[in-house]
Amino acid sequence: MIGLTNGQMANGEAVAAKPAISVKSLDFYYGDNKALRNITMDFPRRKVTGMIGPSGCGKSTLLRVLNRMYDLYPGQRATGEVLFDGRNIISQAVDVNRLRARIGMVFQKPTPFPMSIYDNIAFGVKLHEKLSRSEMDGRVEDVLRRVALWPEVKDRLKASATALSGGQQQRLCIARTIATRPEIVLLDEPTSALDPVSTARIEELLDELKKEFTIAIVTHNMQQAARCADQVAFFYLGELVEMDSTDRMFTAPKETRTQDYITGRFG
Amino acid sequence: MTEATHTVKSYEQELEHLRSLMAQMGGLVERQTAQAVKAVVDGDEEAAIEAPELDPEVDELEREAEALAIRILALRSPMAVDLRTIVAALKVTGDLERIGDYASSIARRAMKLEMDGSTMSLVGLKNMGRLVQDNLRRAIDALTERDRDGAVAVWQADTAVDELYTAMFRELVTYMMEDPRNITACIHLLFVAKNLERIGDHTTNIAERVYYAVTGEMLPAVRPRGGRGHTST
Repeated sequence: MIGLTNGQMANGEAVAAKPAISVKSLDFYYGDNKALRNITMDFPRRKVTGMIGPSGCGKSTLLRVLNRMYDLYPGQRATGEVLFDGRNIISQAVDVNRLRARIGMVFQKPTPFPMSIYDNIAFGVKLHEKLSRSEMDGRVEDVLRRVALWPEVKDRLKASATALSGGQQQRLCIARTIATRPEIVLLDEPTSALDPVSTARIEELLDELKKEFTIAIVTHNMQQAARCADQVAFFYLGELVEMDSTDRMFTAPKETRTQDYITGRFG
Repeated sequence: MTEATHTVKSYEQELEHLRSLMAQMGGLVERQTAQAVKAVVDGDEEAAIEAPELDPEVDELEREAEALAIRILALRSPMAVDLRTIVAALKVTGDLERIGDYASSIARRAMKLEMDGSTMSLVGLKNMGRLVQDNLRRAIDALTERDRDGAVAVWQADTAVDELYTAMFRELVTYMMEDPRNITACIHLLFVAKNLERIGDHTTNIAERVYYAVTGEMLPAVRPRGGRGHTST
């Protein structure tokens, strides 16, 4: 299992102390509408950062900036800095396809490709790496084991992924995301369409994944942020209101707006 | 403090009910303490009888508050100030119940106390009783008003109670050495003083919980204390 993240572990604590992503004075626009205002925050390496806030607060927008998902839409633009591996990834010089392999994303609704379970994982890997058949088999098995899906699907890898249950599909999507060996995994409401058992499995999985990946998760479920995240950021109307350790945020937040939101006092 | 109310009204009502149970308990326990001090200092028999009679009511309120707190924890998943209020309520009601017990114990002892013909002064005990009652009243005010500064003031004031207890201890030992016939009464009075001192400690605990519930911070672990040492039991 070690080695999957391309040697980043080998550098030890010195690397761990440096944030995986550093956002500085980031503004984001949907046309004329300013959706993010002067965001400055760090995503610590191999930690889970939870992002909470009411609908339209900018948390999903920030996630979409982190892997340039907004590039797909005209009229959307970002200014400021998002430093990843020493480079500002919102500058045009960055190879977006390569970036998305290193910063993977999992969406709210499971999005399996209409192909076999095996190919769902192999598809992305093939775009970035030339693996032999046996190497690919090994990769597929490895990631399916990590997401605890292997025992359930090992005898039907050629079956269509769309036949899986919602929870299984979401775990497959996470497997697909980590198969390209990213450094960062972004999750946008990954369990909101899942039942409590599937949700618990994904949360358990996050605990495992954070040993190797830096994770950013957007969630509307406060308890989920409390259970999964190491640090939590609260967004409101495009601003980062407060960010602190999860423990601190949910027992004694500093800002009244944070407190009102997490205690259910918002109008 | 946050002025906004919960979007879910029934949640707001439950928290309000919890606060009201604590306020009721506080009122009863204040009454018990006042009657206990009156029983000892003024030899008031009715007061001596009333203080322990309030015990079952205090116990019942404690059980009700505990059940409600557990219910809210289970059903509402409280966060931040709400979570702190509920955790504090569990502890505060425990402290209040203990204060009630000490007050009853003082009142029962008052009935056995025969001061007839004694030359001993009860001034020290009177002062201590007044101070303890005053602190208790202010702690309960801080609790109901969620007053951070009030809580700090109570927390600091316990030093004076401890000092008075130390002085009482010395005074009573002197009476006992002067005349062995004083010993029985002095032992009773010593227990009374000790119980008042314990009420002071629980009052300080309440102030600490209020401070935590309001601010999210803990007061320092070492609180101000009066000269103890040789009087520790």
